[in-house]
Formats: sequence, structure tokens, C-alpha cells
Amino acid sequence: MRRLRIITLPYLVWMVVLVLVPTLLILLLSVTNLDIYNIGPFSFVTEGFEELTKPLVITAMKNSVRLSLLATLICFLIGYPTAYFLANLKTSKKTMLITLFILPVWSNMLLRIIAWETLFFPNSILNMFGISLNLIGTDVAILIGMTSMYLPFMTLPLYSVLEKMDHSLIEASKDLGASNMQTFLKVTLPLSLSGVVSGVIMTLLPSMTAFALPERLSGGKTLLIGNIIEDYFMKTSNINGGAMISIALMVVIIVLFMVVVHFDKEGETLI
Amino acid sequence: MGTKLVEISGLTKSFDDVEVLKDIHLYINENEFVTLLGPSGCGKTTLLRLIAGFEYADAGVITFDGRVLEELPPNKRAINTVFQKYALFPHLNVYENIAFGLKMKKMPKEDINKEVTSVLKLVKLEGFEGRNIKTLSGGQQQRVAIARAVVNKPKLLLLDEPLGALDLKLRQEMQYELKEMQRALGISFVFVTHDQEEALTMSDTVVVMNDGIIQQIGTPIDIYNEPENRFTANFIGESNIIDGVMHKDFLVEFEGVMFECVDEGFDQLENVDIVIRPEDIELKIDAGKINGVVDAITFKGVHYEIIVMVNDKEYIIHSTDPKEVGDKVSLHFEPEDIHVMVKSNA
Repeated sequence: MRRLRIITLPYLVWMVVLVLVPTLLILLLSVTNLDIYNIGPFSFVTEGFEELTKPLVITAMKNSVRLSLLATLICFLIGYPTAYFLANLKTSKKTMLITLFILPVWSNMLLRIIAWETLFFPNSILNMFGISLNLIGTDVAILIGMTSMYLPFMTLPLYSVLEKMDHSLIEASKDLGASNMQTFLKVTLPLSLSGVVSGVIMTLLPSMTAFALPERLSGGKTLLIGNIIEDYFMKTSNINGGAMISIALMVVIIVLFMVVVHFDKEGETLI
Repeated sequence: MGTKLVEISGLTKSFDDVEVLKDIHLYINENEFVTLLGPSGCGKTTLLRLIAGFEYADAGVITFDGRVLEELPPNKRAINTVFQKYALFPHLNVYENIAFGLKMKKMPKEDINKEVTSVLKLVKLEGFEGRNIKTLSGGQQQRVAIARAVVNKPKLLLLDEPLGALDLKLRQEMQYELKEMQRALGISFVFVTHDQEEALTMSDTVVVMNDGIIQQIGTPIDIYNEPENRFTANFIGESNIIDGVMHKDFLVEFEGVMFECVDEGFDQLENVDIVIRPEDIELKIDAGKINGVVDAITFKGVHYEIIVMVNDKEYIIHSTDPKEVGDKVSLHFEPEDIHVMVKSNA
């Protein structure tokens, strides 16, 4: 155990300095009038809670939950068959296809968002093919953006559980009289649940907290909670309100995760 | 026994240009315990998987109960399999694992209950219904795997080296129990193993395979006493294999000496392989037809294994009567202990 503790030290330091302390700071900022740029005496305030009742904030929170859940569902519907296909490939082709699949993640996310943005305006390179899209500001634009950004994060955990799955279990299921569909529903899917939960978390989390993506693709029409928080901190300098909304977002995410993890009986996922 | 349940003819299968099964012909009777015996890579598991429907043959036909099997996917065959590593569903408990096949058949709940309870009794796992698969020992998992297969009342049960992962004592116990179960259920078993003792103990019929070819089909006693070729003789028990020449029916020459034997039907002066089992040779101190010197002796528990050098060739003899290294001895055996086989090229 002692040895283990030494090995985990860098991670612990990382977590404390970059996760725990900032989180506690946000928590403190959400209920006090502490001036973070000029630290001095401070007192507890309750104005932050009032921010949570503002229609703009509530709408943005609803938009975020709705669009992230939709994006996660779309990622699952595309990602599962893809992962299943990749996992059942012969080894030689496998490595190359998976590399191709991960390749987009290596380029900067902001650049990819901007690339989509230019395609979604009526005047774009697509005009060459006689296509003119006018999607900026629509849910469709945001969903396409989110799906393309986060699909690999759904697919890879699914691929890793499906790839490790003992193929004889599938044969056993068919041997016992189950059709392909029944085998999938009764054996493959339940056994890949841990991958589903990982994938959902990996997709849901960045979608819920996204702010660059909706800012570029919504043209200011659809506000997500990430944009609101950014505005509070960067534009109106309402640190107390921004911190409170951040905490509220954290609570919403934790609740969503608890629902997701509830389905994972094995408890073999990230959380 | 009597009616043919499975008939296999001309079965051929290759994986990536490697022929793993070459023109297999075989039939399995109803209520018969058939063992496919051979070293790993001999094609025995592939043959089993073809019958189960997990692989498809390149050529040849398997008929089952009068129907051509190729037309049926594995889930439509009245055949169940006990897998090598059991392949129990880790997300289901013992009851749910066993009930899986019955649920697929849409059997009413009460009937499923009844069937599962009675099969758990058969495999001696009463009270294990709610147990998690991961908390079971290897032997218990083995029994669940058997229960999960036989509860469906298949006409044919396929077992792919199901005892390989068990320790010796448990394995011997399960050999006996499987044989009992097969008699009690009255269904045909096809049992794959590389363990010759297991094959001889349990089977009605042993099918010896090597290199994708059936070497010999017969009862355990036939296979042991009358091996048809060098491979079978070597694979089943220990053997002395000697070059010989058949002079005429019932007369064979080896080690420069003529011997009376019980074999006939060979060409005159045909080169043959002679098999003599180590336990069939008796050693005497006086001179005889074949004479040699004791080279080594090892205590094996029930018997001594004695190596005797005869004309620079080793003979293995099993005897309860010890000898000293360097003893001059003669080898004696009866005509029926001399097994004459067609010469193998190997």
C-alpha cells in the first residue's frame, strides 16, 4: 500500500491543485462576495441563488440538457454499430480503421468547429456542388457539431468492451436457441453496458459543458449553459452569479450520471 | 442403439489454405457415447463446431435426424453444446443461465421452474439457483454448463474438452457422472478430448483423429487391443512398435525370428508394423527367442517400467517384478499379444 501511495502522488497533487481547489473556490465564490482578483475580507451573500431563477438561465439549462442528451443518443446510435463492426473485424484491417476513426481527434477541436460553421452558412464551399445550407442557429447545427466532436469518445469505450467480449458467449446463446436479435438483446448488449455507461459519460460531460461549440454554431440564437457561464465571468464580471450557475450545472451533471450509473450493475466504469 | 442420428459424409474444411478436416465419414447412433480423440490441432474441435453450426464445411454433408444440417442455423438445431471454458453468461445467475434456452423456446414460467429444479438435482447443485456464476468453483461451473445444455433435452449433446480445466480427482468423478448422465438421459454424446484415458473410460465408440483424418473408429477395447496403424498404437497407451515381415497368414517375422500370430489377410512378404503392449511382455532370466539387457528401470507406482535393449532397439516393459540394470533377460509374449498393422509411412 505504501508503495502504491508514492506512485499515486503526482496524480493526487494534480487532482488537488487543479480540480479540488478550483472546485472549492467556485463553491466559495458562489455564496460569497469574495473578490478573486483582490482578496480581502468577504461575507456570505445569497444573490447567487436569484440568478438560478432567471428565465434566460433556466432556458439555457434546458437547452443544454436537451441537446446533450440528444447528441449522446445520436452518438450511441451511430457509435454502437460502428464499435460492433470494428470489434468483429479481422486483425489486419482493424488497426488501420481504428486509426482512421481516431484521426479527427488529433486536430484542434476549435478548428473543426469553425470548419463546420463555414459549411453551415448559405455561402460555403458546398455551393460548388449546388448545395446551400442555412443551418447556423438551428438545433441541427449544434447536434451535428456535438456528434462529430464526441462520437469517438462514445465509440472507443464501446469498442474496447466489445472487443474483449468472449465470442463463445455469443455462440452459447445461439446454441441455446436464441436468434441473432435475441442474442444481441440478451447477451451482447447487457455485457457491453459498462462500455455504454463510459461512452455516455464521455459524451454527455463535454456536451453539457460546451461553450465554444454553441457559440460558433448557434449564431447567438440558441444559448447553452456554457455560454451563460462564460458571459457571467468574462463579459459582465458577475463572478458570484457565474459561480452559482456553475455549481448548479455540476449538480445537474451529477444527477444525470447517477441515473446512468444506476444501469451499470457491474460497476466497472469510470466512476 | 441402432438408428443413425447423425451421418457425416465427405466433410472437408480449410482455414486459410490449411486443410483441418479431410474427407471425414462418420455416423453417430442414437443413445451413443462417441469420443473424438486426438492431439491438439487434429481437427476434432472443428468437427464438433461443424455439427453445432458455428462453422460451415467447404464440402460434404451432415445429416441430423434425417435433415441436412447446413440448412439450419445453430439456434434451430436440436443440438446443445458444453463449451470448453463453459461460456456461462456472467451477467446472469445460475438459474437464469440454465433457464436461458427454455425462455428462448417461450416455455411457461412454471414449467421452466420445474425443469430447472430437476436438472439442478441431476447435476447435484440444488439450492444454487440464485448464485452468481463468478462465485462458483470450476467443477460447479462445469455442472451449470452441463445443466444449461441438457435442460433443453437435445437429441445430441456436444462436449468440447469439458473436463480439461478440472483437477485429476474431480475429472475422474465427472467422467463417471457424465457417463451416468448419458445413460439416464438416453441422448447421444459427442465428446472431444485429447486424453486417451478419458476416451477409453467413457465411450461406446472412440474416433481417433490426426491431421484432419480419422485414423480408426472402434470400441475402446478394439482401439486399445487392435490399433490399425502406428499413430493409434502410439497415441493410445504406450507401445513397442517393431518392423516386421508377414510371411503368410498367422506367421510373422521380426527381430530375425519367426512368430506365430493371429493376423491374416496380408500379402506374402509384406512389410508390416508390429505392436506389442508393454504390459503384454514377460521377462525371463533364461535365454529365449528375443534376448536383451536391462538398460533402465523406473518405479511407476503400480508397476516398474523396464527398458530393455534388444539389437540396439529399446523395448518398454511394464512389470510388477523388478530387475537389475545389466540383467540379461529374454522377452516372452503370446501370439494374441502380437498386433500386426499395415506399414505406416510416418
